[in-house]
Amino acid sequence: MIQVNIQRTLHGVQGDFDLNVDLDIVEGEFVALFGPSGVGKTTLLRCLAGLEKPDRGRIAFNGSVWFDAQEHTHVPPQERHVGYMFQDYALFPNMTVRGNLEFARRKGSSRQRVDELLELMDIAELQHRKPNALSGGQKQRVALARALAAEPQLLLLDEPLSSLDPTIRSRLQDEILQLHQRMGISTIMVSHDVGEVYKLAGRVLVMEAGHIVRQGSPAEVFSSGQTTGKFRFTGEVLGIEPMDVMEALTVLVGNQIVRVAAMPDEASNLHVGARVMLVSKAFNPMIIALE
Amino acid sequence: MQAGPHNCMNKLPGKIVALECNSHMSLVDVAVEGDTFTATLLETPEQSPYLKIDQPVTLMFKETEVSLAKNLSGLISLRNRFPVVVQGIERGAIMSAIGLDYRGHSLACVITTRAVDRLQLAIGDQVEALVKANEMVLSYEH
Repeated sequence: MIQVNIQRTLHGVQGDFDLNVDLDIVEGEFVALFGPSGVGKTTLLRCLAGLEKPDRGRIAFNGSVWFDAQEHTHVPPQERHVGYMFQDYALFPNMTVRGNLEFARRKGSSRQRVDELLELMDIAELQHRKPNALSGGQKQRVALARALAAEPQLLLLDEPLSSLDPTIRSRLQDEILQLHQRMGISTIMVSHDVGEVYKLAGRVLVMEAGHIVRQGSPAEVFSSGQTTGKFRFTGEVLGIEPMDVMEALTVLVGNQIVRVAAMPDEASNLHVGARVMLVSKAFNPMIIALE
Repeated sequence: MQAGPHNCMNKLPGKIVALECNSHMSLVDVAVEGDTFTATLLETPEQSPYLKIDQPVTLMFKETEVSLAKNLSGLISLRNRFPVVVQGIERGAIMSAIGLDYRGHSLACVITTRAVDRLQLAIGDQVEALVKANEMVLSYEH
């Protein structure tokens, strides 16, 4: 159980505002922080990791106090056993892949741990390369492996997949999900992607200007919109082609490619790469059992 | 095609005038320009507090879900029947888009070109538009 109750003044583009978060996370939970840029999501992660100090408040992890402003307690990052995956990966450029993992390995843990992670993340063949010789997807894997090398009790993922193309992104989402199911590490992930939050998180916290303004399961949080249509899928437009008097949209939804008929007026607002929401009423789908 | 200035499916502004509900579903009657439209929803007023009498809503329905009829007689299970005037016809090889006027609101529908020929549709024709209640989506302002 992680208990967080912290305040910190942040300097935003539109002036100062207060980060004020009161939050309990149950062991093994996967929580997403969702909201626009500059509302304090990354600062919250950094405070949890011990990289920044709140102005006031307290952070406790399974009963041990990590931070307490009144008691002047501040447990340094390396003693918190937190795995942190940075938005820009922040791999050490002068170290090999293996070196990056070795560096992060918890002192006293077995060297085997690094071999296991190299296998697990499918990067064993890259272990002697340096980060600048890796693709985006490979760097992402190394960064995740490095975050896990510390044998964390808490995994913090700051927009882990934001710079990847949709296919790799989807595959790595599957891997993160499997990892979480297998290891059960409490995880907090910052994401702007509704689909990603749906897929991975059990609970989503919507942040605005330093505060959690809404929370619940992804279904509760994201389906409280205006339309009564029950099926909503977010996707990316891959193609727009004329089809008689209509337009055929090719849309990537999750990792499936679907074709949708659109009116020319609907399609005229769209372009390849545009994000769209497909809404359909609950009456339409036919249901085919797979077992 | 003169489908008019709408950029996302057919929309009509109205007001909820009647509600019939069971534990999962609601049958919602919406008054638009003196006509009553009906939408079936898998939602209840408990889950969706906007489902109440006098709530302003927008009825939305996809162009491909609209059927057209001329001189329709007899009984029909379909709940939404409303008079429209053909404003424009854009013929395609298989499908055609028809621009419609419903009491001053621009709507559009897409039916097969075969059906356009069978109905001998022409600009200015007064026809009846039909939409199943299942296909009606409601949206509202918060």
